Amino acid sequence: MPIGKKRIGIVCPYGWDTPGGVQAHVADLAQYLISQGHYVSVLAPTLSDENLPDYLVSAGKPISIPYNGAVARILFGPIAFARVRQWISNGDFDLLHLHEPAIPSISFLACVAAEGPMVGTFHASAKRQKVIFAIGPILEPVIEKLTARIAVSEAARATLTEHLETDAVVVPNGIYASRLASGQLRSEWSKNTIGFIGRFEEPRKGLQLLVEALPQIISSVPDVRVLVAGPGDSQEFLKDVAPHLAHKFEFLGRISEEEKADFLHSVSIYVAPNTGGESFGIILAEALAGGAAVVASDIPAFEALLGGGKYGALFTSEDSSSLASTIVDLLHDDSRRNHLRSEGKSHAQSFDWDLIAQRIYDVYEMAMVGLGKVSLSSDTRAWSKFLGR
Amino acid sequence: MKSLFLVIAVLAIFAWYLSFLATRLDRLHHRVETSWANLDALLQKRAAIAIEIARSDIADPASQLLLTFAAHQARDASVKDRSQAESSLTGALGILLQTAEDIDSALEQELLHELIELNQKITVAIALHVETVNRTQLIRSKLFIRFFRLAGKAPLPVTYEFEADVI
Repeated sequence: MPIGKKRIGIVCPYGWDTPGGVQAHVADLAQYLISQGHYVSVLAPTLSDENLPDYLVSAGKPISIPYNGAVARILFGPIAFARVRQWISNGDFDLLHLHEPAIPSISFLACVAAEGPMVGTFHASAKRQKVIFAIGPILEPVIEKLTARIAVSEAARATLTEHLETDAVVVPNGIYASRLASGQLRSEWSKNTIGFIGRFEEPRKGLQLLVEALPQIISSVPDVRVLVAGPGDSQEFLKDVAPHLAHKFEFLGRISEEEKADFLHSVSIYVAPNTGGESFGIILAEALAGGAAVVASDIPAFEALLGGGKYGALFTSEDSSSLASTIVDLLHDDSRRNHLRSEGKSHAQSFDWDLIAQRIYDVYEMAMVGLGKVSLSSDTRAWSKFLGR
Repeated sequence: MKSLFLVIAVLAIFAWYLSFLATRLDRLHHRVETSWANLDALLQKRAAIAIEIARSDIADPASQLLLTFAAHQARDASVKDRSQAESSLTGALGILLQTAEDIDSALEQELLHELIELNQKITVAIALHVETVNRTQLIRSKLFIRFFRLAGKAPLPVTYEFEADVI
């Protein structure tokens, strides 16, 4: 193996088959590292063994449990622990990169099992919860083993400091800015349209808030249309929506990367009415890169991402009339919209993968200094040597 | 007989706990050393680049003087003066980066680029070092660790003042 090329193990706690920010981040990072000539192995739970990329190793089937306002598909238990240990001992890694190691998952198990250079990335941000007093003593000695910590946003970093009393280096999530910037204008998606991408059925994504705001928007912009892209059951969603509002909605289902670029370029406004639980807002960064004028709720992560309103309009979170008036104002003001588009697009360049991955790799390099290879922690315990194993 | 077993079990668990604490502490001590060694190496490299910049045409004569002085001081400083020396080098380089914007020579641009990259790495290295030191201090203040002297003769790690400026 040439000098400087490393063997890197990445653990993704969430089910690989389900779309999500962490999974997408891991996939992009793995591809980038492979393109740089490193050996990468990703351990993640998967539902089926089909259509998996070469670098992926399945840890078993994930189970669904509610966590942080969404349903998380994660995996743990003695069998999973054995698989994790086997993966670590077979992998002969120079470094382990564990994503979200503070939730009960294979990332946490890997952190328990391994010894050596380890980097942890913390994605979630949450308010301080009482339960942390109970789980802190279990979590702390494990999280302490991480050589370096990365938080994806200031919000995630604050969560980490509050919950676990440790600090982290902030490296935001990466996007393929250049790929998104080349979208074409599609007439069926333009002209007084409001775009939304995401799992619209989840309450924290806040599409319901847009439904509440819609009557007020229609009264001043009668021909407005709402375009929703993303997986979910549209019939189920529209069941409780009044018919005169429901026909304003168009559901596009899941869209491809090229369609996404076109979509972001075409819609008049991209809306992110999330009510919380969001730590970075990768989709918002993508919307900026795609050249959309963005309206987002003023939760801390979005406020930070949009520079306090410099790169997109903010409205008071969970306030439908504030959302309605912000959208109406922006739909009427073409020059402001164009201004936001161009400002946002140039701001989004700073989240491009080339820059981000380099920063992550810098952290890797520092974690690897003088710590040798990754090994199973039971092999290095003093009494194992003493007992001669 | 039963109570004897109980006492032995409790003692065994206690011994395991002490060994667990000692392992934790040992790992942290080891990491403080490596993270400092890493940071130290980066700082030395920064001083070397600063001297190179001082010899190039980027810096005006006054900055040259300032840089050379600060860089040499940072290289030769004893443990006691290190913090102050690094701070002043940070300051000198900061002034240089602010003023030197229009440079056309490729070689010098390369040099500045290298410096900016190195500064980013130093920021990360400092964050890692400070975090480890804080953690170690926290663990060492635990009652059991102090009472059973699990830290042995290892000196209590400390952070330097200059590290706070950079973060």
